[in-house]
Amino acid sequence: MHRNWRNPGVALAAAGLLAMSIAAGSISEKAKKLHFSSIVVDTHDDTTQRLLDPKFDLGVRHADGSIDIPRMKEGGLDAIFFSIWMSGKVTGPEAVERATRQINAVRDAVKKHPKEIMLATTAAEVRAAKKQGKIAALMGVEGGHMINSDLGVLRSYASLGVRYMTLTHSVNVEWADSSTDKAAHNGLTDFGKDVVREMNKLGVIVDISHVSDKTFYDALALSKAPMIASHSSCRAICDAPRNMTDQMIKDLAEKGGVIQINYHVGFLGQEFRDAERKDPSINESISREIKKRCPDENDEGCQLIEGDKITREYVAAGKLPRVDYTKIVEHIDHAVKLVGADHVGLGSDFDGANMPYGMEDATMLPKITEALLQKGYSESEVRKILGENTLRVLSEVGRVSKELQGKK
Amino acid sequence: MRVLRLSAAAVCLFALSLPTRSSPGDDVSERARKLHFSSIVLDTHDDTTQRLFSKDFDLGKRNPDGHVDIPRMREGGMNAIFFSIWIDGRTLGPPAIQKALDQIDAVQQNVRKYSKDLVAARTAEDVRRAHAQGKIAVLMGVEGGHMIGNDIRMVRIFSRLGVGYMTLSHFYNDEWADSSTDKPAHNGLTDYGKEIVREMNKQNVLVDISHVSDKTFYDALEVSKAPLIASHSSCRAICNHPRDMTDDMIEALAAKGGVIQINYEKSFIDQAYKDASEKLTGKDVVAQFDQIVKDCNGDQECIGRKATAREKQETAEGKLPRVSWERIIDHIDHVVKLVGADHVGLGSDFDGAGMPEGMDDCRHLPQITDALMRKGYSDADIRKILGGNILRVMEQAEKVSRELQAQN
Repeated sequence: MHRNWRNPGVALAAAGLLAMSIAAGSISEKAKKLHFSSIVVDTHDDTTQRLLDPKFDLGVRHADGSIDIPRMKEGGLDAIFFSIWMSGKVTGPEAVERATRQINAVRDAVKKHPKEIMLATTAAEVRAAKKQGKIAALMGVEGGHMINSDLGVLRSYASLGVRYMTLTHSVNVEWADSSTDKAAHNGLTDFGKDVVREMNKLGVIVDISHVSDKTFYDALALSKAPMIASHSSCRAICDAPRNMTDQMIKDLAEKGGVIQINYHVGFLGQEFRDAERKDPSINESISREIKKRCPDENDEGCQLIEGDKITREYVAAGKLPRVDYTKIVEHIDHAVKLVGADHVGLGSDFDGANMPYGMEDATMLPKITEALLQKGYSESEVRKILGENTLRVLSEVGRVSKELQGKK
Repeated sequence: MRVLRLSAAAVCLFALSLPTRSSPGDDVSERARKLHFSSIVLDTHDDTTQRLFSKDFDLGKRNPDGHVDIPRMREGGMNAIFFSIWIDGRTLGPPAIQKALDQIDAVQQNVRKYSKDLVAARTAEDVRRAHAQGKIAVLMGVEGGHMIGNDIRMVRIFSRLGVGYMTLSHFYNDEWADSSTDKPAHNGLTDYGKEIVREMNKQNVLVDISHVSDKTFYDALEVSKAPLIASHSSCRAICNHPRDMTDDMIEALAAKGGVIQINYEKSFIDQAYKDASEKLTGKDVVAQFDQIVKDCNGDQECIGRKATAREKQETAEGKLPRVSWERIIDHIDHVVKLVGADHVGLGSDFDGAGMPEGMDDCRHLPQITDALMRKGYSDADIRKILGGNILRVMEQAEKVSRELQAQN
């Protein structure tokens, strides 16, 4: 989930140049073979919000949104982290209750389609799912506010299958600063450090997307296991606080971590971000339009999907610049040039953000493989970026957890 | 957790104990000891969970107060225990769910901490395996449907976290079930309540009808595909308390394969005690409990302490009669005479109720075996009462759950 719709900040621009792009039909045989034999992992999908609508069926193809089982299969998406998310303004026990309901919604959706999808909590389970021809469903809690400063709740989430937690969402939590809020704690508080230690012990990946730079460095210094940025891109290309500086990417990689590139246009393209910032009235009118289309203000799924649609309408009308999916590949390439192919992966933010042209849904993913091959990446490098890097971190986090539990 | 007059964390060290029993098990025969310590002794209701939050309590050490800890369970041959997940019925909605998660976590943390002695169990097979390994099997029961926050999906969350039974109500009516100690509001189970019972069957969560109104019991009995349990209730024919079961109810429960687990609380097992107690404090259990909860500002430990202190004082002042532990045997024997030895078991309410003299803590359990033997019960019947019956019910519920899951 990339932003809070009720707190906007977008703008206008001319239609962007159509960058060189690959039509869905023009994926080379080599790329197809590589893509569909690889384990493709996406570490951030907001489809969970749609699952809360009893009418939404993950098992059928939908005309809107980006994720469902048929499209995951078509795009070769083998493992997906369903994001457990609500606005950081929801706090206290209510946040706990809503998070458990979302976890249950994911588990129920998975149970409903046992032939196609299965719950996974370890790298070995993801590999086993792939072998059985099934999609692996994992869960990440997007925002430390959902534990209500209670390690017992964190442990309950872990028992229920949650495998990463983003320390904050867009506002600070009681124990950690967010990148999009005023610094209040100078990074992690002492309790925040306890949270990171407990996550290490539980085998829950520390996710530093959304957190302030100082929180990132505090977590990095403390965590005994590698960390991920589940859905962040490169600040050197697009100067958004939600993205990582080159130095942060290097430091993350140094400790074995992975940056999972976010496809949100406002994090990929500087010109999109500039346009948004230049004319805040655009985002305000998008928010108004969302409210009109989604009268139930608790229907986050509707808001996220419609937000993406409306943004596209603004791009088509020339009010916002167009961002092409090749920008995703630029960010991947930037990180690879910086730290090598072992520390980059995919964290789309599908169903929670505004997708670039040519990456409307999961069926488009083979284009990334094709583009990387065209850039001269080796097959083994491409496999790492598609999923192996994330699986390595997941195994390593599991190993550290066992070690820490054994010590006790 | 029994009715008022005390509750959680009861500190029941009686100055007076029956003169014939200076220390536990003194006059338990060798034969009884042998039978007792080779049997699976499963207690379906212990409020020790509340004590796990106290800094002064350590489950792994012998404590001078209360009824249950690992050393005393070992000494009393109690090798399987349902820790009760309980919060007062006035705490509802999201706070109820968070508190329940905290209690489940506290139980699991203790299982991890004392992994040499304890092992988590969810099925009858788990309990048998624990027994074979010489470990105490730890199970959990949610005492009160209010903890699901009127949301059937929480049944699945609790089940996943290891909860083996749910008591449909506590002292107060739920949104969907009437309690035996509240004014009827739903005429038993609502339609939603019936759906919840079906979901419990599916999720292999035993339907516990302790605390519920007679009508709720009959409604649940009709709906449930698996046998029911009364996790901690005694016989109304001996002590006319709404928390106890009538002979008709016991017969109906047994006819469907269920089991009544005898509660040791003095006001449920002894008519004279109950009468004296009501003379002192009135019949309105709910009003009395409300007052204590209010006085304690909802603090669960305080609720237990306050109720206990009063009862202790009143007993010392002679305002309440003494009750012998042998009353427990009367209740067991009453059920056996009514429906045979296949439908009765032990649901002490240790650490949540006022224990009769001679059953001051779980070290005294072998006395029950000895007394039943002296009454002429066969070894096989005694084993059933000590734990075999509840294991049979668990196995049947597991089978029903598998069948219902397969139907999907």
